[in-house]
Amino acid sequence: MRANTQGLRWLRTTAYNVLAIGLGILAGLLVVVYAGGNLGVALSSLFLNPITLSGGIQQIFVRFVLFYTMGIGVGLALKAGLWNIGAQGQLLMGMVLVFVVYSFLAFLPWPVLYVAMILGAALGGLLWIVVPTVLRVRFGANEIVVTILLNVVAINFAFYMLSGPIKSAGTALGFPHSVELPAQFQIPNIVSGVPITYAVPATIAMGIILYLAVERTPFRVKATTVGESHETAKYAGISIPRVMAVTMLAAGALAGLAGATYLMGYRYELDIGSFSTNYGLVAIICALVGRKHMLGIGFASFFFAYMTIGAESMALSANVTTYVVFAMEGIMMLGILLGNYLTERKYAV
Amino acid sequence: MTIPLSDILVGILSTTLQLSPFYLFAGMGEIVSEQSGVANMGLEGIMLMSLMTTFVVDYMTGNPWIALLAAVGVAGLIGVFFAFTVIRIRMDQIASGLAIYLFGLGLSFVMFNTVYPSGLAPNYVPLPSLITDWNTVPYVGTIFLKQNVMAYVSLILVVVIAFFLTRTSLGLRVRAVGENPKAADNMGVNVNKVRFLATLFGAMMFGISGFYFAGNFVPGFQTDVIAGRGFIVLAMIYFANWKPYRTLFAAMSFNVVYAAQNEYVTLSGFGVASVSTLFNMLPYVFLLALIPVFGRKARVPKFLLKPYRKG
Repeated sequence: MRANTQGLRWLRTTAYNVLAIGLGILAGLLVVVYAGGNLGVALSSLFLNPITLSGGIQQIFVRFVLFYTMGIGVGLALKAGLWNIGAQGQLLMGMVLVFVVYSFLAFLPWPVLYVAMILGAALGGLLWIVVPTVLRVRFGANEIVVTILLNVVAINFAFYMLSGPIKSAGTALGFPHSVELPAQFQIPNIVSGVPITYAVPATIAMGIILYLAVERTPFRVKATTVGESHETAKYAGISIPRVMAVTMLAAGALAGLAGATYLMGYRYELDIGSFSTNYGLVAIICALVGRKHMLGIGFASFFFAYMTIGAESMALSANVTTYVVFAMEGIMMLGILLGNYLTERKYAV
Repeated sequence: MTIPLSDILVGILSTTLQLSPFYLFAGMGEIVSEQSGVANMGLEGIMLMSLMTTFVVDYMTGNPWIALLAAVGVAGLIGVFFAFTVIRIRMDQIASGLAIYLFGLGLSFVMFNTVYPSGLAPNYVPLPSLITDWNTVPYVGTIFLKQNVMAYVSLILVVVIAFFLTRTSLGLRVRAVGENPKAADNMGVNVNKVRFLATLFGAMMFGISGFYFAGNFVPGFQTDVIAGRGFIVLAMIYFANWKPYRTLFAAMSFNVVYAAQNEYVTLSGFGVASVSTLFNMLPYVFLLALIPVFGRKARVPKFLLKPYRKG
């Protein structure tokens, strides 16, 4: 019986999620049609363009890797009741560190430098969350406030790095950008000609490893206990500071790592176009939709990768700004939260 | 040519007084909201919607006062919706707030773009300065008389909110429902009604902040134009321990640092943008540094983020 009711609950949650996402899409369609777009064109751009348009498939997997890597970190911290609103800043620091390592450790031989760039990105994200972690664990300072502040600092710092230390010599005029990574520092495609890089299987493998390491071990109970009640956790003899520090630091490192996959696997150079993409917030939505489950976040990430590209393409088809996608995401998020309330009769993140 | 030190100081003070009200309106709103137990993380989304409304209504009517009313109205509407989600439906406040932020971030630009596609907007009519020929009065003119009346309203608001929270019975009820809703309920306070009113008030203050942003920060609407400055308010009141006068201090000192680095960057005329962006980080780092010093003693309202259910 128990399994049955659980299955039923899962079905209801899924149904509500689909409804919520439908509501967001409907809102987007309304805007597009209001702006004079053709409904048929809008629908086909939304659902088909991500796979039919050239570069669409590549984009789906690039964003999937990005959202999953960041979202899994956000979800991990969220399990312990900690909100990492700063994933965007950590991502940015990861991206900056890729080029810092590339420029300043250029004397290293190729394979070492390659690995160092990836590790550097993780380190950048990690460093960017050390301050909120220490303030939270040692002084009890709210991590939301500190990570938000650091997002703004990260943008300014990245801009400084970009217009000075890691600037490409080729940008005398216009917006500064870094040099382009040469081919041997790009993450190669698995099959030549098919734009799916090794970052995709690596990310999925990482997701499965984290699933085994988190969901299948006592760590899950430890983290969720800390997340639900510090009192209970203390009573159960769980080291609260350790759980908080581990989940937060992992979240930062993962967000930084996402920066390496983005630059080395897709964009190859850093410019201010990568600064305020709000991917950090999408990662939070993915973590919530995936219900903080290490594999669930993966499915949510793939869905949002597909959906955001479709929605952007839909907006462009009717000459509407792609900012409409943010509004759609907001509506979807509210709808999903509402669905959780309706299934559980009490709201739980 | 050297610029006299007095001019630099006047410039810093003038900028501080000009920019602080944006943080003060929002800060007072968020304090009242959070003291009642509701943190509104959607504040920047609400500000963006009001800012967009301000520009559009101002362009259409040429009257900034009507724009103010419209901005507060829009903010209030979103506030009612937000309050409904977190009080009635007991949604997670942070998640709902972030959703409202995304919603406002997207919709504000979509709407603005629909009304005024690609920068065809007319000129913004700002609120007038206190006196029109403030130029003629040395020092005092640039610092005090150049500002519009809303700058002074924000200062009065700080005093009013400080008085309200500690000296009035409604203010005490606001704090009671954030501190111990059960006890407040037993004493006959309608917890969720007080929270609703506090949240609505907060949202309307974000509306005034959005209105104030126009003209004082930017001449026209762009994508993501508030750029995190709304979120900074959360840090300010956290550092200020939810106290109005300390929030005033936080906002003023943040803006003094901002204005000082701004003057320095402008005067020294760095050829490359590079070093100036490092200076741009200063006000935020300054605020961050205050947190371990003062935030350590922060006493969060006990039932902040926690929905209340009767019985």
